[in-house]
Amino acid sequence: MAVSRKVFEDQVLALLSCLQGVARRLTRNDADAEDLVAETVARAWRALDSLESEAAFRAWIFRILNNTFISDLRRADARPRLESIECEDEDAEGGDFSIFEQMHQPFLLWFSNPEQEFLDKLLREDLDRALAALPDCYRVVVILSDLEEFSYPEIAATLGIPVGTVRSRLSRARCALQKTLWQQAQAYGLSGAGAPARDRDEFESKARQPNATARQARGNKGTV
Amino acid sequence: MTKQQIDCERALRQILEYVDHELGEHDHSLMEQHLRTCKSCFSRMEFEQRLKRKVGALREDEVPSSVSERIKGLLKSF
Repeated sequence: MAVSRKVFEDQVLALLSCLQGVARRLTRNDADAEDLVAETVARAWRALDSLESEAAFRAWIFRILNNTFISDLRRADARPRLESIECEDEDAEGGDFSIFEQMHQPFLLWFSNPEQEFLDKLLREDLDRALAALPDCYRVVVILSDLEEFSYPEIAATLGIPVGTVRSRLSRARCALQKTLWQQAQAYGLSGAGAPARDRDEFESKARQPNATARQARGNKGTV
Repeated sequence: MTKQQIDCERALRQILEYVDHELGEHDHSLMEQHLRTCKSCFSRMEFEQRLKRKVGALREDEVPSSVSERIKGLLKSF
């Protein structure tokens, strides 16, 4: 056994917020996330002999979490979700879409910065929604890389895929995320920097609709 | 020996790895050199870096007490 019971407990408790956070974003549901974390910890304890070293603990337990999530989907015969987690890397979900390419105006370099203004306007809810809309196999790499700050080799070890696949999947995932953010912004008339007043009025009107209550607090509150 | 440089095409191909701190020392240094002289690639890098930070800020550190209690109970049962 690579680690003692005490080290196992300490590591689990130290990683609990990460495990819960990743589980919640995978399952998109607090109750399912709690069950997933509990099942992961139980499986990890039973599989402790497969842990090679204490240093490998984080990637090892997240791999168990990911595998448990997939096997739960299989058991529930959740075919669309399963296809989503096992998506082909050739799928060009977001293509090579880039918000920067859409907005950047080189001749305005010193006077205006539309793409940075776009980022300034993004709310936490915008990003939450765009992340939740990603297929599972893309969402998981963004979560591990950007939220949990895993290195590419750690993500590769966690998901059981080559580092090159992590690189390409992350690139496609970010393109898909940007495409969704762009579409959301277009829906609110905010994709052009310095959106005309008419668009902003329309945006604020949409913000007062029930599904966009968080937008009522536009301004610094809620931005990330 | 002439100093090696990279063009915008290669810089853009490697920009996410740069932002993720995944480039090797040599490639990282070539990228830094390019970014010092190319305003357009620098702006792109800044954009990707800020977006990554914004996504990273979605991370939640708080664990609901129900989860915490359940896991502590589970650990005691092993």
